[in-house]
Amino acid sequence: MNHLDGVALAIVVGTFLIVTCIGFAAARWRPAEDPMHLNEWGLGGRGFGTFVSWFLLGGDIYTAYTFIAVPALVYAVGAAGFYALSYTIMVWPIVFVFGPRLWSVARARGYVSPGEFVRGRHGSQGLGLAVAATGILATMPYIALQLVGIEAVLTVLGIGGNSSNVFVRDLPLIVAFAVVSAYTYLAGLRAPALIAFVKDSLIYLTVIVAILVIPARLGGWGHIFGVASAHLSSVNPATGKPYGSLVVLPAGEWAYATLALGSALALFVYPHAATGLFAAKRRDVIRRNAALLPAYTLVLGLIALFGYMARAVPAVNEGVKAGHGNAQLSVPLLFSNMFPSWFAGIADAAIIIGALVPAAVMSIAAANLFTRTIYKELFRPYASPAEETRVARLASLLMKVGALGFALELNKTFSINLQLLGGIWILQTFPAVVIGLYTRWFHRAALILGWVAGMAFGTIEAYRTSGGGQAHFGAAASTVFGHTTYIAITALVVNLAVSAVLTVVFRWFGLRDGYDETRPSDYTADPVPAPAPPRKASPARKAEPATVPGTSAETEVTRSPA
Amino acid sequence: MVRHASPTKSPAIKAAAAVMLAVAVVGALWVPIYAHTLPKLGDFPFFYWYQLILVPVTAILCWISYLLLRTRPTRKARHAPQAAARGREGVRR
Repeated sequence: MNHLDGVALAIVVGTFLIVTCIGFAAARWRPAEDPMHLNEWGLGGRGFGTFVSWFLLGGDIYTAYTFIAVPALVYAVGAAGFYALSYTIMVWPIVFVFGPRLWSVARARGYVSPGEFVRGRHGSQGLGLAVAATGILATMPYIALQLVGIEAVLTVLGIGGNSSNVFVRDLPLIVAFAVVSAYTYLAGLRAPALIAFVKDSLIYLTVIVAILVIPARLGGWGHIFGVASAHLSSVNPATGKPYGSLVVLPAGEWAYATLALGSALALFVYPHAATGLFAAKRRDVIRRNAALLPAYTLVLGLIALFGYMARAVPAVNEGVKAGHGNAQLSVPLLFSNMFPSWFAGIADAAIIIGALVPAAVMSIAAANLFTRTIYKELFRPYASPAEETRVARLASLLMKVGALGFALELNKTFSINLQLLGGIWILQTFPAVVIGLYTRWFHRAALILGWVAGMAFGTIEAYRTSGGGQAHFGAAASTVFGHTTYIAITALVVNLAVSAVLTVVFRWFGLRDGYDETRPSDYTADPVPAPAPPRKASPARKAEPATVPGTSAETEVTRSPA
Repeated sequence: MVRHASPTKSPAIKAAAAVMLAVAVVGALWVPIYAHTLPKLGDFPFFYWYQLILVPVTAILCWISYLLLRTRPTRKARHAPQAAARGREGVRR
């Protein structure tokens, strides 16, 4: 479909090689005394200050979802796709409120994943397992979404996608993924944390240039919105209704708000978000980042507007049609049509790396969950830290293979549905994780049954929705009492109702509740630098005790009364 | 040595932070207040520029809340038994 663009491809491959070197070198970054500990491999030593955390969390949370899926949705349906902007606005106040408590209890108790917190807080192995299994299940389609994003870029670059042979078609994707798996295996969270610097620099560069250059070349924003409006109000022959609208219509407001709220609440309980938070060195790092990370939300909003820019370029519309209506090609096609080859290469590389970083963090997060909540709980209660790390490394590989299967098999017309489906599942852990941060009013057995009800309801409801040419799993919203609502929210309400009613019933019958291993003071704890577990002090460290570098010393100074 | 988020913040400060964070969330969640074309800012319909401006507003509200809720190190933590830390504080004063 697309001819091979040699210059752009060379730049993409070159950037990928540089990033690969950084990934492998990351194993030596901030070296640990004991690299074979899950705090090191899985959380980068729990020592990232505000600066590194900003890159890591930004690199982790703003994914191919931001760069490919959201603009694709805006390209196709217009304003409704902007719920992602609303979602990434409200997620930061939410993180601001819940994040520090979760961080503190995880640091105080040495938890590396939300599953362990739930097990310890509610005294329930079953509930911990449920949270871990949900986390792994929900992360799989989210990683798959990253692969779909990479695939879209590769297709526009002219490699892959042409052959009918599945293996040849997906080979570049498989190779790229294998390389990422290798350095994640070796360096753990340090690799994506370090690569996030490259990723974010390239993304910011691309977005700034695009916003300055493309509207001017297309005849201004007035023209861009004009073309988009004309397209969106025209009638879609497949449905007999307009494609979409330039401003959310009253009928779509409820869906817009619930998609935004559901995604925002879900993001906080996604394992990869917890991994990013737990890697922070201090409690304050989280609140500061809640105030600093909206910079990426602004980028997301601008990238969403790329969807309209793409609509205003006739060549992009033809390219999307030639690609069987795959709207995900719109942003890479926009780059190749609006930028010279060399800069299109940089922009494409930004998207590919922007998808690889979160994929790596997600696989680490799922591996942490598996190791501590499933493997150690069920099979090897006395596993040594080194054994845990070995298991986590292997689990991260398996996660990637699973996600690859997901990505190669599933319908990709709207990859955003992958993320929304994951959101339905992961949000069902919200009562156990987030409400559990504040109260143990809910009975552990009621929480498990509420989770079962929410998962069952959400999955069945999602299965029943059709859309995008699919009979099942076609959309993530369904009608409740006349309002189109994100299924995650409906399922959460079912979940909470079941949990609440059963809690009352179980308490009535005096069913025994679990033992809470956490203490109230754990939720506000702010251990000053010493990461858990304390590293053995080497002679070099003894000579210079403040080696725990950078921000801790800085914050102490700025905090002392001037 | 473990510090704790200060329990000494007055309810008024906590309430102020809560209101600011709630404003940011409700501003994004309550779609009817911004699902309009007019007034336009340049060529941008209200729907778009409202949300884009809400982003830095949210950041500022979070930052102010952070400053309000920020915990100063307790006396014990400030006189940490770390020679280097003590030295640095001394220079600072």
